[in-house]
Amino acid sequence: MVDYFHMTRSETQNRSVHALVLTGYGLNCDFETAYAFELAGAVSTRVHINALISGETSLKEYDILVFDGGFSWGDDHGAGVLEAVRIRSNISEALFEFIEAGKLILGICNGFQALVNLGLLPGFDGDYETRQVALTFNDCGNFRDDWVPLLGNPDSPCVFTKGVTRTELPIRHGQGKFYASPEVIKRLIDNGQVVFQYATPKGEPAQGQFPFNPNGSVHDIAGICDS
Amino acid sequence: DFDSVLWVGYRPGVRDNPGSTAAEAVEDLLRIRLKPHEAIYTSKRYCLKGGNLSLDDADRIARELLANDIIQEYKVFSKKDWDLETGIGIIIPKVRLDHKPTVTVIPIHSDEALMRVSKERGLALNPNDVSTIRAYFLRDNVLAERRAFGLSAPTDLELEYISQARSDHCNHNTFKGLFRYRDLAAGKSEVVDNLFATCIEAPTLAIQKQKPWVISVLWDNAGIGRFNDDYHYVITGETHNSPSNMEAYGGAITGIVGVYRDPMGTGKGSKLIMGMYGYCVGPRDYQGELKPHLHPKRLLDGVIEGVRDGGNKSGIPTPYGQVWFHEGYLGKCLVFVTAIGLMPSQIKGEPAEEKTTSPGDLIIMCGGRVGKDGIHGVTAASESFSADTPAGHVQIGDPYTQKKMHDFLLEARDQGLIAFITDNGGGGLSSSIGESACFSNGCVVELEKVPLKYEGLDQWEIWVSESQERMTVAIKPEHGERFMALSEKHAVESTVIGHYTDSGKLHITYDGQTCAYVHIDLLTSQFPRWTFEAEWTPPEMRGLFEPVLSEPEDRSGLLLDILSRPNISSKEWIIRQYDHEVQGTSVIKPLVGKDYDVISDAVVIRPVLESLEGLAAAQALLPTYSQIDTYHMAACTIDEAVRRIVAVGGDPDRIGGVDNFCWPTIQYDPIDNPDGKYKAAQLVRANWALRDVCTAYGMPLLSGKDSMYVDGHLKGRYGETHKVSALPTLQFSCTSVISDITRCVTMDCKFAGDLVYVLGETRNELGASEYYEHFGYVGLRVPELRPESSMKLYRALSRAIQEELVASCHGIYRGGLGVHLALVAMGGSLGMEIDLSRVPTAGAEQDDFILYSETPGRFIVTIDPANRASLEALFGDLPYACVGSVSSGTDFVINGLAGKPVIHLPISELKAAWKRPFGSLI
Repeated sequence: MVDYFHMTRSETQNRSVHALVLTGYGLNCDFETAYAFELAGAVSTRVHINALISGETSLKEYDILVFDGGFSWGDDHGAGVLEAVRIRSNISEALFEFIEAGKLILGICNGFQALVNLGLLPGFDGDYETRQVALTFNDCGNFRDDWVPLLGNPDSPCVFTKGVTRTELPIRHGQGKFYASPEVIKRLIDNGQVVFQYATPKGEPAQGQFPFNPNGSVHDIAGICDS
Repeated sequence: DFDSVLWVGYRPGVRDNPGSTAAEAVEDLLRIRLKPHEAIYTSKRYCLKGGNLSLDDADRIARELLANDIIQEYKVFSKKDWDLETGIGIIIPKVRLDHKPTVTVIPIHSDEALMRVSKERGLALNPNDVSTIRAYFLRDNVLAERRAFGLSAPTDLELEYISQARSDHCNHNTFKGLFRYRDLAAGKSEVVDNLFATCIEAPTLAIQKQKPWVISVLWDNAGIGRFNDDYHYVITGETHNSPSNMEAYGGAITGIVGVYRDPMGTGKGSKLIMGMYGYCVGPRDYQGELKPHLHPKRLLDGVIEGVRDGGNKSGIPTPYGQVWFHEGYLGKCLVFVTAIGLMPSQIKGEPAEEKTTSPGDLIIMCGGRVGKDGIHGVTAASESFSADTPAGHVQIGDPYTQKKMHDFLLEARDQGLIAFITDNGGGGLSSSIGESACFSNGCVVELEKVPLKYEGLDQWEIWVSESQERMTVAIKPEHGERFMALSEKHAVESTVIGHYTDSGKLHITYDGQTCAYVHIDLLTSQFPRWTFEAEWTPPEMRGLFEPVLSEPEDRSGLLLDILSRPNISSKEWIIRQYDHEVQGTSVIKPLVGKDYDVISDAVVIRPVLESLEGLAAAQALLPTYSQIDTYHMAACTIDEAVRRIVAVGGDPDRIGGVDNFCWPTIQYDPIDNPDGKYKAAQLVRANWALRDVCTAYGMPLLSGKDSMYVDGHLKGRYGETHKVSALPTLQFSCTSVISDITRCVTMDCKFAGDLVYVLGETRNELGASEYYEHFGYVGLRVPELRPESSMKLYRALSRAIQEELVASCHGIYRGGLGVHLALVAMGGSLGMEIDLSRVPTAGAEQDDFILYSETPGRFIVTIDPANRASLEALFGDLPYACVGSVSSGTDFVINGLAGKPVIHLPISELKAAWKRPFGSLI
């Protein structure tokens, strides 16, 4: 087992990967997300969304862009919807350049909801603008905080989860039910784009069973990547 | 496909959060800016289907479940009346005030005239204050100074300012009052002069001298303790009872979001790192004849959701809280909210806990805009609930706007831009500027500069409005530009509305006209003290006695039923609605044990991720003991909070406390409050316990608040009304620093074969216990704390935990040893075999006494048998005993004093009983 308590950051001078963690407008996991990237060996910087829009900070200087968790715009109009609107209407060009350059984007929690609403996911055939999957209200009808076992997909091309076959993570959301048409789901499975599935403590897919699948996500999907 | 349609929309002026975020998105998308008179409003439409639902049923659903008429309107349509084309049509709940802002001069030719105006305007001036106020405004020098600015008799704004500042909510007149205390049994009388000074301030200041970790107490918005060399933590607690009682969701969200502004406004500002909650409500399944404004179930649901949205959307973990059900809270519910923050110990080389305003500093208001909302909230909180209570003080908090402001202000703080900061809570600008101007000794405020939600507010309304999500900040003029640029980057509105002076005067203008000119020191002097008659009748004289009750036969069935009692049973459904993982700091989580479903004694966070140091936090409530003696209620409540901290590994010598009193009205009135003298004596006694226990434990009070007037007048079956008073309630919160979080322990037993110890003595103290309550008794022998011997035990236990001798540790709280042994076993999903004959007792020589007595000062610990000698060496001659062991099966077995099993149950059955009342809720 990894001793998380005693993990420390590596020496700064040896680190060459620069991660940008978004802040502002109700995002709230920026500090711990930045810290996690530091532990993983990156140099991470918290940057306000408006600093990217004003040009005070340039995406070009970074290798990883992180849409972290929180309640952007209070989640009032669907989780991540208004964050996607703000990003798309103001910095879509810089964002596409970033993707073109082969750099990495990670969306966690509210950030994942934003990526889906931006259309960056699932990104079939290089289409990064069409919204094809949705995250909607949990089947249990409420916000829920729980630790859930996850199954990692060893065949997925996802960079962040390489080598992760099983893990446990805390979920805290009210709108985490992954939903898409059967065709889209099938395509995600066939392409190996399903990165994480909710699982039972024994390590089998939860098959929709609450509380292991905490929100009713179709096919127990807890995370996807682009192809 | 539906049978009827319900439409629910906000009333004009009610905060519409989705409406305002929609406006932001529309502006982004269309690249436009909405004009001042343009806005977006949201409402909800519900389509009902169900063959047997009549329109009356639909109306009832709307009225009792979906809409609260204090903040919302609703309409009901049958299918045939619903126009599919136009729907509800366009309903714009825009505030239109066709009103020119006007300053009104109040005549003060007699005390009666002023009192009349006070009643008419809802000023809630205390009759004792009226002559002082009049005398001030009639003073020759005052008249002359005022004449220079065109003023004579006081303006409405000036009286509002005085009324707000003098309200019990802001000024704590009750706690600073004079009590004539008589003990009717002893026939002795004494004068208790100022509970705050004698029971809170004096002990805390004495302890602060001995404990340098106590950084800042008793003056700021929250107290400050040292976390480590680089950081301080900040804590305070509040209540939001009256608003929550009327609009549960709005009241609770405004409460939690509001208390978060206290640490933000402490010192030069702190980052919020944790929230806690406590709810006291009527029974969730109440079916009695009294009609509270909201049924307890609906009220509790709304309160839970309000704190959920307020905490979660602020990105602050809410890992700890408690609920207490009792019919006394039907009159007014209690909603306790507690906030903990973290600040660097220094900002640009200056102590972060220090702040001041200086002449020339800009007064800046940040955050939300000002509307009519919340006017007279403070004065309404200083009265009991009645049909005339103005509904206008109910608001809906906006955590999104506040989160943006929080992030902005921390960045401004770290750049060294903030000279002074405080929040706009009760009393609005009147309090925040009034209090901050005391440091520089004066201010000039230009009220027309205050940004408004809509036009048409009178000057006094702008001044006292409690519109939420606002902070008042003092900035040096040379920092103004940087501060404003940062504000814009964070999409936060900030406005310069005046500057501080050293004129000795609070000077307020509107378009150049003076509307207030008052001596800053008026409020700190000259007002008469409040006085109270307090008469204590000891419990024997009140006719309380021990019930005549034989030992039960079906002890297993009894334990299961006690575990199923609402105040004992699992509250997992509430805990899981609250994010306790955000910020990545959780160490000891609210739910622990093998299946993560048993409730922890306390929580521990690691607020500085790079450090192994932790902060433990817990709270306690034991209001039922007030039925016998509030002294012991308070002592046991404080002790429970302390033990909860010690149980997880908190350092007993670094515990800080926060007291939150909620009390029924104590001013005697032969008709309206015939038992007022007794209630006043109850308050005195609780404060004595606070003083005694804090002194004995060496525990400073980092912060505290009081909320009086917890009474309600409820309609009964025949249209009559009944006054319902809450139990005198003290919520006590504790924090302590943990030097190494890897040594923390949880309450669940860990391994079969481990030994089970009970620490502390069990006495025959079942008065007001859960056990007696189960049978409908109160009893007489209330649990009594022996603080000196208890503290010795806590220090020994703390050493045992630090030396890693203990596998699990759990305090014995409400319900007694039987309930808490069961919880330890349930947590570990392991059986236990216990001999009651081995439990250290004094005078509790009966199985049910030992199992259900609620004597404070006790713990259950389990240890590896290899640690037996080391552990016992630490405890020496303190009362402790090994009472049994953890077994490998799942049977929970308790052998009685006669040596035979009196309880034998599988763990699964215990857990099912414990989860029975609320286990199906999500």
